[in-house]
Amino acid sequence: MTPELKAAIAALLAPSTDEGKEPLTAEDVVAFGMWVPASLHVALAELLKAHGFTLYVTVVASHWPGEKPSRRNPDPPPEHFQVATVLRNPTRGASTTFSWRVRLEPGQPLDTLFALFAGADWQEREQYDLVGVHFAGHPDLRRLMMPDDWEGHPLRRDYAIDTPHFPWR
Amino acid sequence: MPGKVPNALSGVELPDPHMDIEDYDPDADLMVLNMGPQHPSTHGVFRVKLIMDGEVIVKAVSYPGYLHRGVEKLMEKLTYAQITPIVDKNDYVSPMINEQAVNMAFEAALEVEVPRRARWIRTILAEMQRVASHLVALGTFTLDVGGAIGGGASIFMYTFRDRELILDLFEELTGCRFHYNTHTVGGQRHDIPAGWAGRAIEALKLIDQRLDEFFELVIANPIFQDRSDGVGILPRHLALGLGLGGPIGRASGVDLDLRRDAPYHCYDEIEVKVPTRTTGDCTARFMVRYEETRESLRIALAMLEGVPEGPICSRKAVNSAASVKIKDGEVYVGVESPRGELGTYLIAGGQGGQGPYRLKIRPPSLHAISVIPYLLPGNNISDAIAILGSLDPIMGEVDR
Repeated sequence: MTPELKAAIAALLAPSTDEGKEPLTAEDVVAFGMWVPASLHVALAELLKAHGFTLYVTVVASHWPGEKPSRRNPDPPPEHFQVATVLRNPTRGASTTFSWRVRLEPGQPLDTLFALFAGADWQEREQYDLVGVHFAGHPDLRRLMMPDDWEGHPLRRDYAIDTPHFPWR
Repeated sequence: MPGKVPNALSGVELPDPHMDIEDYDPDADLMVLNMGPQHPSTHGVFRVKLIMDGEVIVKAVSYPGYLHRGVEKLMEKLTYAQITPIVDKNDYVSPMINEQAVNMAFEAALEVEVPRRARWIRTILAEMQRVASHLVALGTFTLDVGGAIGGGASIFMYTFRDRELILDLFEELTGCRFHYNTHTVGGQRHDIPAGWAGRAIEALKLIDQRLDEFFELVIANPIFQDRSDGVGILPRHLALGLGLGGPIGRASGVDLDLRRDAPYHCYDEIEVKVPTRTTGDCTARFMVRYEETRESLRIALAMLEGVPEGPICSRKAVNSAASVKIKDGEVYVGVESPRGELGTYLIAGGQGGQGPYRLKIRPPSLHAISVIPYLLPGNNISDAIAILGSLDPIMGEVDR
């Protein structure tokens, strides 16, 4: 990652820093696992694409059900989803990836990256199908793997592995 | 421009994959044709709904998912030691590289070093597996574009005969022809047996010789040329947008190979030459695979000569399902599989650290077949077979 790109990402993300926290600087930008507000998801992808991260790698949604407070974890986070996006810089000799994460409340949609990367079409459909994250502005958000009349989203943590389904089993 | 042959770099006009069929010429006599799910050219169980105007495809809608087995859901219940034999079944034409991909993700999350001998063996196995996998791809593609090449299914039989030599070697090493379960966190489970390297060199040299015969039979054949030259041109920008970095991307001018550009195993110790094309058609994809087979043979032969001494695993041998523990962490690791970038996105911390919380496999074949809505419209139905064949998708990996 070039210093210019780090500075550009910091400038994009700094205004959204929570009150009372130090604003984001170029040193805080890391190539893996930065938390980004959902409103800047598309803007960050656009910035990265302009800086050479032109290869769409993958999108990974995961579900975190709310837990009951316990002695070990007195203040557990409420139910939420996490969507991680990975892009690759296909430079000859030094190819790197950049990945960031977005935290979503249940039912909150995330803007689609389809306008920037054609591959987001099927990848976001798959995540919608299996995890149930909605992508706003997606041209064709249908199920990809499961049958159209399937109920529920199998990769949610609260979806039991032996859930019965008529007429399959 | 008249007379100019379009290629992957000059702009090719692309159809809108989400076109509403109502917007198409209302006077046209459209027909819906289901290709698959059990069509031989889909190389698995995969359905494409083709909306045809006469002989020409207007719109192609794909329906994957017939082989969906819920592998990613299963990962939530399995421990790290139990995952390796499961991922073998994803891309069942190159199981070695699937095993390496997940184990490299676990090693990255655990920050475990792999001994040099184990990395060396992994490199050799990956290259031999790439040869075996490409032989299947080349053979089935010639079968798809015309039984006339070499008379019936000859080429297909030749490539499968040659692949058997590699599978025999793998069987000697691991005990299995497929689904090896030979990689483990920190290294290898099976060491190279005495005399194996010599036999491997012999077999690979034989395959190298036979590839010459095979090549002469195919590439100069006018039927082959007519059916694949200039068919299904994939532009470079679309290949990048769809995430195609493997042979399909390289045939369209994406000069990316993770073995050279983001080296893992022992690839930084050996020179990897990466064949590319800019024509982006079926011939280019075929030629890139053919040249990669030659390059993999060269790498494997060079590395078999000097396997370094040392331990093959940096950890105690896995003796129970729960012997690998990863408390937390998140990693993404991409390796170069014969079909493109095979990635593993691991969120650790499930089952009290014994298994993954979420493990996403980034299957290159799924990205490969996502070009179908772009490439098929405007082509004849016979070209659809050639295009599908040149993508070399493995449905076990697409659907997982």
